[in-house]
Amino acid sequence: MSHVRLIDIDKYYGSYHALKSVNLTVDKGEFIVMVGPSGCGKSTTLKSIAGLEAISSGEIWINGRNVTREEPGDRGIAMVFQSYALYPHMTVAENMGFGLKMAKRPQAEIDVAVKRAAEILRITDQLDKRPKELSGGQRQRVAIGRAITRSPEVFLFDEPLSNLDAALRTQMRVELTTLHQQLGSTMIYVTHDQVEAMTMASRIVVFNKGVIEQQGAPLELYHNPVNQFVAGFLGAPRINFVAATLVNLRDGVAEVALEGASTVHVPVADTAGLTNGAKLTLGVRPEALKIGDVPDAALSFDAQVRLVEQLGRETVLYVDAGPLAAIGSESGTHNFTVQLGTAAPYAAGQSIKVSARAADLYLFAPDGKAVNRPKLIAASL
Amino acid sequence: MFPRPLPEEKPLQRGLYVGFVALILILWLLPLFAVMLTASKTADEIMAGQYWTWPKHFNLIENFQAVFAQTNMWGYFINSLIITLPSVLLVLVFSTLTGYVLARYNFKGNALVFALFVGGNFLPAQIMMIPVRDLMVSVGLYDTYLALIIFHVAFQTGFATLFMRNFIAALPDELFQAARAEGASPWQTLRHVVIPLMRPALAALAILTFTFVWNDYFWAIVLTQSDAVKPVTAGLNNLRGEWTSAWNIVAAATLFVAVPPVTMFFLMQKHFIAGLTMGAVKG
Ligand SMILES: Nc1ncnc2c1ncn2[C@@H]1O[C@H](COP(=O)(O)OP(=O)(O)O)[C@@H](O)[C@H]1O
Ligand SMILES: [Mg+2]
Repeated sequence: MSHVRLIDIDKYYGSYHALKSVNLTVDKGEFIVMVGPSGCGKSTTLKSIAGLEAISSGEIWINGRNVTREEPGDRGIAMVFQSYALYPHMTVAENMGFGLKMAKRPQAEIDVAVKRAAEILRITDQLDKRPKELSGGQRQRVAIGRAITRSPEVFLFDEPLSNLDAALRTQMRVELTTLHQQLGSTMIYVTHDQVEAMTMASRIVVFNKGVIEQQGAPLELYHNPVNQFVAGFLGAPRINFVAATLVNLRDGVAEVALEGASTVHVPVADTAGLTNGAKLTLGVRPEALKIGDVPDAALSFDAQVRLVEQLGRETVLYVDAGPLAAIGSESGTHNFTVQLGTAAPYAAGQSIKVSARAADLYLFAPDGKAVNRPKLIAASL
Repeated sequence: MFPRPLPEEKPLQRGLYVGFVALILILWLLPLFAVMLTASKTADEIMAGQYWTWPKHFNLIENFQAVFAQTNMWGYFINSLIITLPSVLLVLVFSTLTGYVLARYNFKGNALVFALFVGGNFLPAQIMMIPVRDLMVSVGLYDTYLALIIFHVAFQTGFATLFMRNFIAALPDELFQAARAEGASPWQTLRHVVIPLMRPALAALAILTFTFVWNDYFWAIVLTQSDAVKPVTAGLNNLRGEWTSAWNIVAAATLFVAVPPVTMFFLMQKHFIAGLTMGAVKG
């Protein structure tokens, strides 16, 4: 059953069109992660669900009720903010019991709810402290505890981990996933961190410029991005893109010419609007690039190693393929990124051959739409 | 923004700095010192023109006794309290309400209303003197406590609104969003979040307003006439005789008048300083 529904949401800030016809259905118990670059409208969407921002048009339903015109406190939501937004003059217990107190619930009931939430988050011994006496991670727990205390239908998180250091963030990520399993509540989580998105989500929703680009299970989005934006946004290190020109289209196979490499044959599923001479973009993920000769390689080129990053379990190479130039690469150069799943003894200056199989190539139309993936992966999985 | 400390190895600059500070302090405190000196002398000594000499005969206690025995200062003092305390309380209440709304609610005309509050502060008292007096006469409040209370509340609320609005606007937005998301009504948010966090600002504002109202002389003489309602500032003026004045007694009475604001400042100075620097160091 759908638990949260956004129907044709539009939001204007003055004349700025922040959300453009957003539609989203969230099932009970789902962990939805909304990702996208900064300023794409994630927080605006979350605040619209919470009722903190009035939407310009559309409807919001929570638990079978149209809540579009309801106050945040009546919607059955609880929100956790990036800055924690704890009340500095209240103790941890008072912070956590605030919502119930405002609802004029008996103190005994508040105490029970606060104690239960504190136990879940293991902050029982902090209840009498004030927020400024706590560490960042503890404050974040209190903010989450404050949400739990009210037993909301839906939890809303706005980049709750982005103020924490890397180690703590990993820990809290695991804790939040555990919490979700424990409570079984619907959670909608906003982040710009694609690692959080990939690891926590039961479903990822990718936003860009106020529009939902794609939604689906993390691996589904990773393997079958519907467009170049999604392919570029998910995955670290970033996917390599290179300009390609369509020279021939026959029997579901596109023959594309690359500057400085031999032509490449890519199977395509959707040929709508493709004509010879079209300027396409070829994508290949760093981990799909292999070094040396690969049997039935569709793409291969000679390159020189520029930089090596040894990460212990894996090795990341930045390689220069001369006239074959990667577009918008992570390193800010035209180098390709190659990710090897082992510690490999490469050194800068070395000449290597790089190859990839046809099944690992993505092809995007001039408007960014993926033209080869969905069917291909469905067949090979 | 704070002056950098002068380094140890520049004794000349340090000496100049300390000397300059001392000079300004002396100039600043000289009138106060003169009042204290005068209050400690006998009338004869002052009549003899010995204004700046050390008192030959220490007469402070007797002068204070004379203030209470021979003048109506005690009555004026009570009047001042009756005028000042409600004024301060009402200014705090009103400016908290206006400041909260102007800082947190984006309605049409917000900027205009705010500008009116702020702009009112720039009206010179001389321009308002006749109209305000006429108004009070026509509503039958001239020469009553209410005349001064109403005027001070109306006038001080302008500055106080500016003060409170800016402090409340400096509170993080997410605090208000969190309260709203948790179902707190605007009133509950004001009561449970804004006011507790504004305590230092309110203390600072209370002292400022108290001092303004208590020390007001202009409106006291414009809006009151009879001794029964006159505050201390106007009352002090009554102590001056037609031909001669007992300056030692006037000086003692002046010290007595200064007691409440000074006490108030010392009682609340911790909050006062916290309030004035609140915006600078965000908690
Ligand atoms: N209160 C506001 N007034 C005007 N513009 C806003 C306001 N809040 C957000 N915006 C704009 O709307 C866009 C989306 O903002 P937001 O939802 O906060 O992005 P993000 O995805 O980073 O959370 C941004 O371009 C931002 O500048
Ligand atoms: Mg945001």
